[in-house]
Amino acid sequence: MAAPPASPGTSPRRGSFAFLARFAGFLVLFYLLVALRPINDHVIVPFTAGIARASGALLRTLGEPVSVEGTEIRSSSFAVQIENGCNGLETILLFVSAVLAFPAAARWRAAGLLVGFASIEAFNLLRVASLVWVGGHRPALFSSFHTILWQSLVVLFGVLLFLFWAARAGSRARRAEAVR
Amino acid sequence: MSAIASRPAATLARAAAAFALSLGFWVAFARPYENLLALAAERVLRATESPSVTRLEAREGEILVDRADFPPAAPRPGLPAADLHFNFVLLVALFALDRHPLRPERVAALLAAAVLLFLVHVAALVVQVRSVYAASLGEWSSARYGSFWRQLWTGAFHFYQIAGRFAAPFAIWWPFRTARDEDGSPVRARTRRRAAG
Repeated sequence: MAAPPASPGTSPRRGSFAFLARFAGFLVLFYLLVALRPINDHVIVPFTAGIARASGALLRTLGEPVSVEGTEIRSSSFAVQIENGCNGLETILLFVSAVLAFPAAARWRAAGLLVGFASIEAFNLLRVASLVWVGGHRPALFSSFHTILWQSLVVLFGVLLFLFWAARAGSRARRAEAVR
Repeated sequence: MSAIASRPAATLARAAAAFALSLGFWVAFARPYENLLALAAERVLRATESPSVTRLEAREGEILVDRADFPPAAPRPGLPAADLHFNFVLLVALFALDRHPLRPERVAALLAAAVLLFLVHVAALVVQVRSVYAASLGEWSSARYGSFWRQLWTGAFHFYQIAGRFAAPFAIWWPFRTARDEDGSPVRARTRRRAAG
């Protein structure tokens, strides 16, 4: 997989653990930020409501009659409340922490963060829309789809996205190092 | 260059197949695994409390929390077990990204990583039980846990729920990535030649 480009005198193994330490540090920092009540109320909740609206629009486009109120999506037979864990935030935290922890040029980081955020949220939109559909049409499967399948898939998607980005960013950094 | 960048389709197909297989494996072995998890976490809890009264029992997808000093008629809290350990599926999918995931050394690495993940699950269950003790049992909790400890235990478990359970498989897998992906990649070889020229 993508190895952090080791600086001169740094072994790959040491670079790997340094990356993990930075990753853990960013993860805790971002978790503490999103756990703060004002950030939750003024950023996370409106963001989650936006996801509910977008998912509702997608479902209506696909012919599924749903209504959206705040962070709740309702169909005639099923209602789902979108919370942290269903809004893609957990994968975004993981992805952003990994990108910031990985040694890369600022321009590559910015591009990675933008593309990653958009891609993860687009993928998450599919998750929310499909869960509403499963809840309405196959309620017995909802719990498995919600807890196990989709959560794992969204996180796996985020990790794969990071690895793809890191492979590109890492090889560019090594190329620049070699030319110098 | 890593497998995901050089052969994305084959790598994704491997990850998808591993995801499906490990999901089947996880479903089949979740119950015995939860028994083991409850036993290990109970040992840790009893070793770190006085008097040692906690008893954990895995039952129908839940870990039931019991204590010898709970009133006999009081309901026992049940903790959803799948939330704790479904991230095993993610760990297997990450190992499947390797170009040769079935080589003996890679299987051994996966087993070692699974043991580490088991330790994470035990720690998460211990923290979850502590957070239930600290914040979810009304007067019983208030009488035994101050504000600091309540915040600490509930915050620690919330961190696991939001970030930790997804980050753990990634962080455990990262140091186990194969050495051939660390160096000697085609990109590096090409750049060396170019730099020399």
